[in-house]
Amino acid sequence: MMATLPPSPFDRDRRNRRTMAAMFVVGLAMLALGFASVPLYRIFCEQTGFGGTTQRAAADVQVREATGHSMSIRFDSNVQPGMPWQFHPEQPTQTVTVGARSMAIFIAKNMSDKPVSGTASFNVTPTQAGAYFTKIQCFCFTQQTLQPGQEVRMPVLYYVDPKIIDDPDNKDTQQITLSYTFYPVEQDGKAS
Amino acid sequence: MKVKSLVLAGLLAFAPAMAMNNMALAQDNAAAAAPVESANAAAPAAEEAANAAEAAPDAKAATVAAPPRMKPTEGVGMPSPGEITLQEQFSPTGHTARWLHDVLLLPIITIISIFVLLLMIFVMIRFRRAANPNPSKTAHNTLIEVLWTVVPVLILLVIAVPSIGLLADQYKPAPKDALTVKVTGYQWYWGYEYPDAGIPEFVSNLLPPEKALENGEPNLLAVDNRLVLPAGRPIKLIITGADVIHSFAIPSLWVKMDAVPGRLNEKSFTIEKPGVYYGQCSELCGARHGFMPIAIEALPPAQFDQWVLSQGGKLPGAAPAATAAPAATADAAKAPAKTAQAAPQGAASAKL
Amino acid sequence: MTTITADHAHDHAHDHDADHKPAFFQRWFMSTNHKDIGTLYLIFAIFAGVVGGAISGLMRVELAQPGIQYLQGWANIQHSLMGAEPASLDQAYHLWNALITAHGLIMVFFMVMPAIIGGFGNWFVPIMIGAPDMAFPRMNNISFWLLIPAFLLLLGSAFVPGGTGYGAGTGWTVYAPLSTSGSAGPAVDMAILSLHIAGAGSILGAVNFITTIFNMRAPGMTLHKMPLFVWSVLVTAFLLLLALPVLAAAITMLLTDRNFGTTFYDAAGGGDPELYQHLFWFFGHPEVYIMILPGFGIVSQIVSTFSRKPVFGYLGMAYAMVAIGVVGFVVWAHHMFTTGMSVNVKMYFTAATMVIAVPTGIKIFSWIATMWGGSMSFKTPMVWALGFIFMFTVGGVTGVVLANGGVDDVLHDTYYVVAHFHYVLSLGAVFSLFAGFYYWFPKMSGRMYNEFLGQLHFWVFFVGVNLLFFPMHFLGLSGMPRRYPDYPEAFAKWNGVASLGYEIMAVGMVIFFINVFWSLAAGRKAAGNPWGEGATTLEWTLSSPPPFHQFETLPVIEDAPHH
Repeated sequence: MMATLPPSPFDRDRRNRRTMAAMFVVGLAMLALGFASVPLYRIFCEQTGFGGTTQRAAADVQVREATGHSMSIRFDSNVQPGMPWQFHPEQPTQTVTVGARSMAIFIAKNMSDKPVSGTASFNVTPTQAGAYFTKIQCFCFTQQTLQPGQEVRMPVLYYVDPKIIDDPDNKDTQQITLSYTFYPVEQDGKAS
Repeated sequence: MKVKSLVLAGLLAFAPAMAMNNMALAQDNAAAAAPVESANAAAPAAEEAANAAEAAPDAKAATVAAPPRMKPTEGVGMPSPGEITLQEQFSPTGHTARWLHDVLLLPIITIISIFVLLLMIFVMIRFRRAANPNPSKTAHNTLIEVLWTVVPVLILLVIAVPSIGLLADQYKPAPKDALTVKVTGYQWYWGYEYPDAGIPEFVSNLLPPEKALENGEPNLLAVDNRLVLPAGRPIKLIITGADVIHSFAIPSLWVKMDAVPGRLNEKSFTIEKPGVYYGQCSELCGARHGFMPIAIEALPPAQFDQWVLSQGGKLPGAAPAATAAPAATADAAKAPAKTAQAAPQGAASAKL
Repeated sequence: MTTITADHAHDHAHDHDADHKPAFFQRWFMSTNHKDIGTLYLIFAIFAGVVGGAISGLMRVELAQPGIQYLQGWANIQHSLMGAEPASLDQAYHLWNALITAHGLIMVFFMVMPAIIGGFGNWFVPIMIGAPDMAFPRMNNISFWLLIPAFLLLLGSAFVPGGTGYGAGTGWTVYAPLSTSGSAGPAVDMAILSLHIAGAGSILGAVNFITTIFNMRAPGMTLHKMPLFVWSVLVTAFLLLLALPVLAAAITMLLTDRNFGTTFYDAAGGGDPELYQHLFWFFGHPEVYIMILPGFGIVSQIVSTFSRKPVFGYLGMAYAMVAIGVVGFVVWAHHMFTTGMSVNVKMYFTAATMVIAVPTGIKIFSWIATMWGGSMSFKTPMVWALGFIFMFTVGGVTGVVLANGGVDDVLHDTYYVVAHFHYVLSLGAVFSLFAGFYYWFPKMSGRMYNEFLGQLHFWVFFVGVNLLFFPMHFLGLSGMPRRYPDYPEAFAKWNGVASLGYEIMAVGMVIFFINVFWSLAAGRKAAGNPWGEGATTLEWTLSSPPPFHQFETLPVIEDAPHH
């Protein structure tokens, strides 16, 4: 009847505790992964252009121009409701040569009687173009402060990576839209 | 029923009526105030715009009257009473997608469900205890197990191929000359801006039930200022949210795209026929989530151009001088877009 | 497949010992007995189910016809309870959002999960593997009692400010930024804390189940001999362990975004609201399998019992559940097809989602094959299980439709989705719950339920829920968005039918409660095995109800000759 002897209660308790500990480690690892997903997601977006995340290049970057290939670039601007700024691109669209450095100007004006600082979030559409839209210089890299009534012209220096020409996912991409949304930053440097 | 809907009408009339703030274009204030004469509703706006634009070198752009407000056709671009299937489609991807659903998916899932039901009925009759008192002990049959794994895989492949194709079609980016409209979702209304035509943002609010009734439009779908688009031309909507996530959806055009704050999404499509197409916000966005509908008025291209001019906008390729007009129009119509952009918060709280 | 030697259960020498029960308070409030804790879970789940069901009743009454009929009145009552001014129209609309949120959270976290895992899992997993109890009986008790404060927090959130009105009106998904900047006031914080606590309890439970199943099996009870219900709970416990911590992290960051100025999900500070959706659905999709897998297990036991046949394709059935669990972790973004993902990502998630149909199909066909050649009797548990198989098929095939990213563009966030997940949950998981309840009621209570009332309950409920949820497919196809308190006239017809279906379903529930109370008071005494030769798992070798402590001598499972 007794084919095998049941493990003694002492053995079993020890085994149970070991299993429990292992399982708690798994659970804690998943918890850590949950929090780690914040930087991981950011790195993933930056590396792959996921969600239309743009790329960034140093000022001395050398790019081959793909003469004969042009791309239309549209500029879109938003200001978070409640922020007393006007913010718009100088021109709604530009046509650029793929690979060529181009500059776009955005104009921002503080409409209030107090200095206001802001930072901008940004992305491009179609999202699959994010991996190829490269900024060399952008007002969105740093925080901007405008004095009461001050109006500034803010440049974006960018190029479209010529690799986009060979990307089958972008074969129909004729226009890339670059969008910014400005958010106010409170005096202590923390975004509201 | 009647009394109830009247009470409801009163209730609903209150909030959104107050919501008709000064950001709305004069045209549509007029339309809302005197919907019976909606055909001529745009005239005062155009007149006002013309007066204001007098100084502009090219005043012609602003003297054009807006086309009359289009009447929706019952059952087109809106749900029909008691409907049991998808709305009639008016965009090429809509046709493909509807084909995929109606010709492929629906028959397949119906056949599978009926097949399972018939099998069950068969075993329930054939192998009931009275008919089969001695159960077999068979618990394996490799052939049948392989079959019911492989056959579903094949069925799924049949579905997946056109489905992936549909996705590719649907998200094919628009050509660069597509008409681009900026759509912004607010709590709880929509804002529309035509960056290329220079038409500043105007907002679109739910029309109170009695106004919808007067206009012959469906309640809870009708809006004061419609999103006016050309039929037959490629359209690109660039969509964002101002406060929380909303979703811009038009079932009869097979369009649904989230409006996410801090990021831009785009959605391309073509409307095949002029008409009025309704949709509703499709992402929970707070209290009045159910009360920020979307209405698209698709005009024949010539009339659309006329509408653009009536709003003080410029047409593609028009002389740059025409750009003076929109600013003036905007002033005249007391709809300063940038004020709208800078302080929708105030506008929103004014509505409450 | 196996024969079970369990004559020790009738070992009279142990009877006195085995039935020695502690005093009332100690037995029910400081319980360490898996059966008592299982009973507590079931009672709690039934109570929560009544609350969640009543909320859906409010929703169906309001939606029965176009226009706002009652919502304003309810909001006024809610406000007067708080001593606040009568509700504005917007506050009444907010109450609607609070209702849909509460309905979702209660049904998921406080009804289905406690009943199917806490209730049946606790009751029968130890018995089915021949263990005297769970591995950690005191931790088991903590798991249960954590549910109470969690539930109270959630209910309490309805009476504190949550943005426009009272209560958390974010939907069960709690999407940022509606749940952060869009919902001022403590209601959403309370709801989030409630999820934290309920989640912590579930993780403890999951660890307990995994340890129990791995280490506490009786001699000879190898993994490949475990009843499928035990397999299903094992897979479910792993899903809980892997998915819930991610939810905990996601909603913890919601809390800090709300209260401590972080910007994990706020684009203003470099965060991304879509990250929350990714994290939520990384949890949320496995969560739906957490709710349905134990149901699969229950149905397998019942179909085998009432066909008097071993489960067809046992290994395929077990590993199909493992496959569903694994694939369930890599399909999450099909809930996010309209958020603006690039087309390649959509193609991947479309294809991956369809893959799940394959193991699910294996399960459905294996159940039918189990019945094939069997000697079927149609007792109440069996009719619920049969109802489950068909209704789950219907819910499953609409899932294949929704899996298509291109088609989802029109169906996303419409009533089609509501119909789909109610077919797999309200007609799937809930049918399996009722099947399990009738199947094991004699074992748990020692009394037979009333067969006529059980059958009547099934048919009334079956007609009711189908009338309730099938028209929602039509509403969704024609474009009615979900989470709307009011709708255009065109949607009136099918909403009316759905509300009628709710009333019929409610009648079915009344029959259920009559049956339960009548049977507990006056039901026929149940034998150890009321189901006859088809019932082969270990719980049927014990008396009904089982002794307070079972298997003080472990049963030994021997290979059957034909295996």
